[in-house]
Amino acid sequence: MRNLLIFLFLFISTLGFGQQVNAPDPKEFTVNTSGQDASGFTLSGFNATSTLLCAVGLPVAPSGTTFYFSTTSGVTASTGYTMSGNKTRISFTGTMANINTVLASLKINTTGTAGDISISVSATVNPTGYYYLPINGHFYKPVSGFTGVTGFSGTTSTGYNNLKTYCTQQTFKGQAGYLMTITSADEDNFVYLNVPGSNIIFALTDNVTEGTFKIDAGPEAGTTVRIGATNQQGKYNNWAGGEPNNWGPGEDYVVTKWNGGTQWNDYGPEATAFPGGISGYVIEFGTWSNPDDQTFTDFYNNSVTHTNGPNLNLKALFNFNFGGNVDETKFLGAVHKRNDATSNWTPNTYKALNGLGRVTLSDQLDTVKVYSSAISIAAANDMTAYSETDIGKIYKMTITGNTGGGAIWGTNIYTNDSYIPKAAVHAGIVTAGQTKEVYIKIVEGLNDYPSTTQNGVTSDSWGAWGLSYQFVSEPSSYKATISAGQAEFSYVNISNGVTTLYIDLTRFGNTQPSTISKVKILDCYDGPVTYTTSDPYWAQYTVPSTLTKVTDGTSAYNSYIRNAGYNNWAFASNLGFAQNGAYKQHKFVFQNYDSTQLKTLYNSIVTVSDVYLAFKEYSEAGGIFGNGSGTQFTYGIQFKNADVNDDGYFNEKDCFALLQHLTGVKDLIGSYTLDNTMKIILDSTYGTIGKSNWQQFPSYLGKDYGFSLIDGKINYNYNLAITWKGDVNLSHSATPPSNGITTNSANFGMTIKSMSTSNGEPTAYIISQIFGDSLIATIKFNPNANSIVGTQFQINYDNSVISFSSAKYKTTGTPINFANNKGSYINLGSLNTGGELLDGTTEYQLTFKMNQKLDNSLGLISIAGNEAVNVSGKSVKIKIQ
Amino acid sequence: MRYLLTILCLILIWGCRKVEVTPTPTPKVEDIFSVKETSITNGDPLKFTLKSEGVYTLTLFDSVGQQVVTRERIIGKIGENSLKLYTKSLPVRYLYLSLEDENSVQIGKTLLIIN
Repeated sequence: MRNLLIFLFLFISTLGFGQQVNAPDPKEFTVNTSGQDASGFTLSGFNATSTLLCAVGLPVAPSGTTFYFSTTSGVTASTGYTMSGNKTRISFTGTMANINTVLASLKINTTGTAGDISISVSATVNPTGYYYLPINGHFYKPVSGFTGVTGFSGTTSTGYNNLKTYCTQQTFKGQAGYLMTITSADEDNFVYLNVPGSNIIFALTDNVTEGTFKIDAGPEAGTTVRIGATNQQGKYNNWAGGEPNNWGPGEDYVVTKWNGGTQWNDYGPEATAFPGGISGYVIEFGTWSNPDDQTFTDFYNNSVTHTNGPNLNLKALFNFNFGGNVDETKFLGAVHKRNDATSNWTPNTYKALNGLGRVTLSDQLDTVKVYSSAISIAAANDMTAYSETDIGKIYKMTITGNTGGGAIWGTNIYTNDSYIPKAAVHAGIVTAGQTKEVYIKIVEGLNDYPSTTQNGVTSDSWGAWGLSYQFVSEPSSYKATISAGQAEFSYVNISNGVTTLYIDLTRFGNTQPSTISKVKILDCYDGPVTYTTSDPYWAQYTVPSTLTKVTDGTSAYNSYIRNAGYNNWAFASNLGFAQNGAYKQHKFVFQNYDSTQLKTLYNSIVTVSDVYLAFKEYSEAGGIFGNGSGTQFTYGIQFKNADVNDDGYFNEKDCFALLQHLTGVKDLIGSYTLDNTMKIILDSTYGTIGKSNWQQFPSYLGKDYGFSLIDGKINYNYNLAITWKGDVNLSHSATPPSNGITTNSANFGMTIKSMSTSNGEPTAYIISQIFGDSLIATIKFNPNANSIVGTQFQINYDNSVISFSSAKYKTTGTPINFANNKGSYINLGSLNTGGELLDGTTEYQLTFKMNQKLDNSLGLISIAGNEAVNVSGKSVKIKIQ
Repeated sequence: MRYLLTILCLILIWGCRKVEVTPTPTPKVEDIFSVKETSITNGDPLKFTLKSEGVYTLTLFDSVGQQVVTRERIIGKIGENSLKLYTKSLPVRYLYLSLEDENSVQIGKTLLIIN
């Protein structure tokens, strides 16, 4: 038992999951105000005793915006920083608890300039000797001297080129380095503060054309910053007085911290042999400009974009949670729109997601209202028959108002299971007992449904819910606006609690009186009305209000209101008519992924672990291998993903379909598109899909997420979970928000954040050799101390030179062996679905035919990914030796 | 004994005679293992010299994770050996190339930057 506990501890400690930076929700700051609360960032999941490096910065903010911490105890500012005072960036070290205390005291000082304020917070276990710049999310490693750089001497460019090459060979947190570039005053100042010594060479040179200084390393390579005596527009330059001067026999390279100062000078080797006078250099890691795009391993960051002043423009932010093993930046999204359910979608320009899976598409929202027809349906108690795919559609039905009968949740926007006749009374659309045709629009789920009492009905409150509805005007109807005028073209009669509005028939023009569904009466009323009848002079409407501002004299337009006696009030008025219309339907759409690349990605998503886990769950649930209740699946979404034939049942058909996909007998996917593989689910819904209710939710397959504009709503922020058909172990999916979970974060075929392994890890040995006109590759597998029931290797091959011929297997148990030829790679492996173990005699032999005579084959085949699954259904990385 | 010494001296003198030996030309080889790293593209030759004929293995492994990517067994010959490296199926850009003899003794190692 003790050994088991030790093993579990070691295993869990190697996974490294759970570490993260949590960000607060967006908020609105007041302009020109100091010391505003910006707390809400927290670190979690780190070892409590580890010393962490934390960086805070403002990647986007109006000029002059700063922040400070009101509590700084227990942490140490990095070299070049102080914890006290106002700043735009800082890094510091401390334990997780101390850092969280400091982050909780974060305050913002705003200026008079309105705009977005983005705050970025990053954390990692403190890497000694490296410095992090939170503005761009790059690490910098200062190096004194030139030890290890071949030939950094002499009077030619060879030494400089060798230095650049040396930098590209250095790696840090999974990123290759490059000789530092300096592209902003902030970066220059950062170097000044953090890099010791003076005369630090960086990647800027005029060695191609004298006087034309170009950046020649990193992501900005090729950028010209100065020609002759002219600094290029928008390019950062920081020359010392009189520099660059190409002194003496010539100076083609550039140093910063010239003579210990803050500026630059052109320098050797033509004037001075390298390294003469240059004290060192800096290796920069990171090629992105936005810290959110960083892909460092074991490094975590998050950000939030607040606003300075009220946000008067619509803002659309889509925040996708892909889990840990998918590169979000490979996905692009756009907002498409259409007039109504019967018209075609108009596409928009796709934008790439950032490294946190976010994209802002505010400029793609369309606030123009258009004529739209409603869809007639039979009266219903609620709108649970509809799903996310119906968002934006308007339905009409005839109902009778009821103050009892069922519960309702929310105010004006209701959960889709709210009782419609009662919600209609609550919203003021009908009165109790009144029968009327109403228009109901399907809108997206909310995170909060407030409780209120309106029109004698009290609604309940609710938290996050996946889908809502809202009562709207008939989209083809009109709104009448009564404004102050000369003649009394309108009046109201208010008696016995009933308000009737009369409008002069001569004022309607081409508008039909019966199409008026809304009215605005001066400053006294703005809302729905019901057309009742017309006599030879007046069109009559029922107004669901007693219009107190008309009767008590408090209207600003009181001088235009005349008490005409007999409960009549007349308005000296003009009339205007405008079609109500409806907002266009909107939907977020992912751009189609290249099918070949998607096929390769999908091969890493649905693997031997998924198949085994499906079999294991099914067998425990009383299926083909056993009986009892299944305990392998933790979340309802696993059932949905395992129900690969989408028939609403997870059974042996799905297990064997997964197995056939793995072994190449039959692909799960007909054609590789996101519509056939991806699922987008609102986060609040994702968390409610349980083991007992998963069948009630739709399949979600597709790359679209529908949403709609709502009157009065400004922020359209959507948190969306991504998961995949067949991703049973959720290795490439968002982890549902529930307790106690350890998903199997397989990393098959990917290079992101792989889990470390212990000495007892499974191993494999590959070797190939040419025999005649064949190339034979042998893979020997050894589970070592692990109870392995399945293996999978992605064997890449150069299909322009060799063709796959056959496979042989030497395996124990009665596994299903497979060598699935995918065109440019072989999916090779074994699976004992019944739980028998593979042992150290396991061996695979692949034979390829050579399309041409070759003397050797090095590189024609390679192992690009691997995975093993243990008897518990956990995926385990194989060390290839 | 005197005769014996005389014979030995004669043998020694004979052995010290200048012998005309025609030198074997040594080919000029740019040995892949003589440099720390090399940029390489698909089909580029890998040249190296061997002191003895035998079975050797060439291994490509990831410079970061030390994970082996591929390995080939070859029959090496004395002197210059020239092989091709095929890069289309290789999954990463920076790879170490090592050469081992049949006793698994490493006799060469270099970094390849795959372009």
